[in-house]
Amino acid sequence: MTPLPHYLIFSALLFSIGLGGAIMRRNVLVVLMGLELMLTAANVSLVAFSRAQGLEGVPVYDAQVLALFVMAIAAAEVAVGLALIVAMFRARRGVESTSLTSLKD
Amino acid sequence: MNPAIQAILFYIFALGALASALGVVVLRNPVSSALSLACCLAFVAAIFFGAGATFLGIAQLIIYAGAILVLILFIVMMLNVKDEKPAAGNWFYCIVGVVVAAMMAGTISSAALRLPGATKGRCPVHVLAEHANELSPVPRGAQATHPPTTPSEYGGMLPPVSMKEGESDISLLGKTLFTHYNMSIVILSFALLAGALGAVAVGRKLHRD
Amino acid sequence: MMQNLPWLFLVLPLVAAAADWLVLARKPRVAACVSIVSALATMALCIAYLCGLQTGAPNSYVWFPVQEFDLSLGLLMDALSMKMMLVVTGIGALVHIFSLGYMKGDPSNQSRYFAGLSIFMFSMSCIVLANSLILTFIGWEMVGFSSYLLIGHWYHKDSAADAAKKAFITNRVGDFGFLIGILLTLGLFGSLHYADMAGHMKVEAGSPVLTAALLCLFCGAVGKSAQFPLHVWLPDAMEGPTPVSALIHAATMVAAGVYMLVRLQVSMGLDAFTETACCVIAGIGAITALLSALMATQQDDIKRVLAYSTLSQLGYMMMAVGLLAGEAAMFHLYTHAWFKALLFLAAGSIIVCCHHEQDIWKMGGLRRKMPLTVLCFLAGTCALIAVPGFSGFFSKESILEAAWERSMPLFVLGVVVAALTTFYMVRLCLIAFCGDARTHEAEQAQEASPTMLVPLFILAVLAIISGYGFVADQLVPYAGFHAPNTEWGVTLFAGLGSLVAGGGLAWLLYGKKNTLSGQTDPLGANLVSRALRQRLYIDAFYDHVLVGGVQRWFACLISCLDDGIIRRLIGQGLALLTAWAGRLLGRIQGGSLCGYTMLASLGVFILMLILILLF
Repeated sequence: MTPLPHYLIFSALLFSIGLGGAIMRRNVLVVLMGLELMLTAANVSLVAFSRAQGLEGVPVYDAQVLALFVMAIAAAEVAVGLALIVAMFRARRGVESTSLTSLKD
Repeated sequence: MNPAIQAILFYIFALGALASALGVVVLRNPVSSALSLACCLAFVAAIFFGAGATFLGIAQLIIYAGAILVLILFIVMMLNVKDEKPAAGNWFYCIVGVVVAAMMAGTISSAALRLPGATKGRCPVHVLAEHANELSPVPRGAQATHPPTTPSEYGGMLPPVSMKEGESDISLLGKTLFTHYNMSIVILSFALLAGALGAVAVGRKLHRD
Repeated sequence: MMQNLPWLFLVLPLVAAAADWLVLARKPRVAACVSIVSALATMALCIAYLCGLQTGAPNSYVWFPVQEFDLSLGLLMDALSMKMMLVVTGIGALVHIFSLGYMKGDPSNQSRYFAGLSIFMFSMSCIVLANSLILTFIGWEMVGFSSYLLIGHWYHKDSAADAAKKAFITNRVGDFGFLIGILLTLGLFGSLHYADMAGHMKVEAGSPVLTAALLCLFCGAVGKSAQFPLHVWLPDAMEGPTPVSALIHAATMVAAGVYMLVRLQVSMGLDAFTETACCVIAGIGAITALLSALMATQQDDIKRVLAYSTLSQLGYMMMAVGLLAGEAAMFHLYTHAWFKALLFLAAGSIIVCCHHEQDIWKMGGLRRKMPLTVLCFLAGTCALIAVPGFSGFFSKESILEAAWERSMPLFVLGVVVAALTTFYMVRLCLIAFCGDARTHEAEQAQEASPTMLVPLFILAVLAIISGYGFVADQLVPYAGFHAPNTEWGVTLFAGLGSLVAGGGLAWLLYGKKNTLSGQTDPLGANLVSRALRQRLYIDAFYDHVLVGGVQRWFACLISCLDDGIIRRLIGQGLALLTAWAGRLLGRIQGGSLCGYTMLASLGVFILMLILILLF
């Protein structure tokens, strides 16, 4: 069996990759994908903890329920985010985050 | 399934997930990124299966890899997004992004490795070979009856899943979900509804007059 | 309910002042009426109390309690305060009425003027009726404030504004001492209430602490009663309207210092007044009396002559206080209030009739133009120079008597001052009233209007009769006062001698025909006269050494602090720092989504580090 820290390290790496993507990429769609990666990383650690806290071989299902909630929220977020991207594409003919400077100007 | 094989499969899937996640970030074409993301999510779903969370794994496959990914791909196709061209000055954000991400990963990992008892398992496979007999499934009640909060237990191996007769992962999850979290799931459904309505409101064509 | 009637003494003028100032600013006649009614009402109330109205002790108001000590404001109704109130409200009411005539046709805001008078009446009543040093101090500051308002009534004149400022600031100097004295008194007696002081002294009589406390309290009196080092403000205060000079700077407010000291003598007991303190008080009083009498001999401004004579008479009173003759001091205060108010009001009347000409060398021959006013003025003069039969004679005799009994040098000084007083008053009367008119204005002078004459008559009668035993026993503000009988003794002869000597000298010097027709003082050229005209260079000394020297250096220091540290370092430095930080932080708001994400994740990272490292 795998020890808990390894799950956590895997989760941290996955999260960092998502974060790096969100910072580095200018394409808003890819930024959104980075966000999805970060959420998934959170889910991985939740599942690992649910196992680690479990008694007598039964995982703690509260953590898994939370992971389920995260998925649902992610779905909603993607829906709204994509709608926003479409609206932005209509307004600016592009999905580059560098073109979003109207607050600064 | 043999615990050792389970562990090896975990590492394989984890490596695959990380590689395809890197692909999401590195590939220039959004379509490739999206497909890479689908791979990554599938690997994570496999890890969920391996960790005994079968329902979550299935949900991961259906919701993420199925619905969300398709939606993203659909949008990418619809907008006909071109490859991202490297812009002047972007290297700064690349370097900073890598540094920040590395710092984050390093911090979390070191914190995880400093969990009490964590350093005991230098090489998981080796440790597994040593303690193979201890980790075999044991009948209920023979194991510790308290959650592993004491330092020596917490960082160690995850206890194996053992279900009673007539119980399964999905039934236990369902019980938790629809008893303790009944109200929460109702509220969450409203959030989803609001998200859907918001998406419609934002995405519809603007009538300029 | 009835026992709170005395509070009306304070409430009525305050309400009148508020009404004048806030509501009636554009209706000067109504404002004047309101003020006069309030003054007359307080006077009537005062007379009612003196005629035997009994309402019991008024409630006192606890301001704030501090453990055993509580700061309460209350009224003290005894013979001293009630009879003093009669002087204050009586002269106040007459001056209010006189002001109606005096201020007629004055272009300044008369509502403001009457509001000032009412505020003064309020604050003076505070001092007189106070049952503790705290309320006295409140009134003390309030009279200073109202005096400031009224001296500066014609604030568009630079001299008036400067005089108001000078009066206020000079008074502040004394008030600091007064405040320290109050605190020392609290320490020594455990209470600030006059009623609780007697017999509660915590040190033995004659201790240096007690002397210090008394001298600090005396500091306040020096400022308010314009005694020697701080006397400079009073002559300048004559820039205010003349009725104000009569009320505040001659009859009542400047006497507050004497009143306060006598009040302390009565409540602390005479034992509490140490030898040293008494010496200082009497000495300062005598010096003031002598110096100001000398200065008065060479003044040309009619009001300034009267101002210096006020100073000199206040010096007399202080001397009496220092000689532990509170009775004589209050007697002189009381007679002086009437005749000095009379002199000032008559002078005001003359000034108005001569079209605001105050130089006596530009008057002349007024006895034929305005005989009634001149007669009143002469009555006041006779009282001031202590002609037998007039009120001033009795009170001055009693002070000289006290000096004769206790201190020979002070007696001699007192006699010299009396001679000087006669000299300058006779000089003033000769120049202003005799001979022929020297200017066109004096030639055209006519008798004043009835609103001005009636108060003059009343005051003239009082100036004559108030010294006789049958009036004085009733009205002198001192418990159990009994007018002394005039005996054929040294003091009487000394007084008469000084009268004859001073009057004769003035007649010799100024009575000649060619002098009376001249336009300047024949003595004006010599060195002594010039020094006296320049007020013995005391004002110049203050201006050059204190204001010009010390204050200049201090101003430099403050300016360095202000300019260098506050403006440069804190003001501009902070502005530069803010601008610099703003530019730096502005870069962060680069409008780049990647930048924002990066910063947000950095923040999360730092939070995480904190959580990991600390918990």
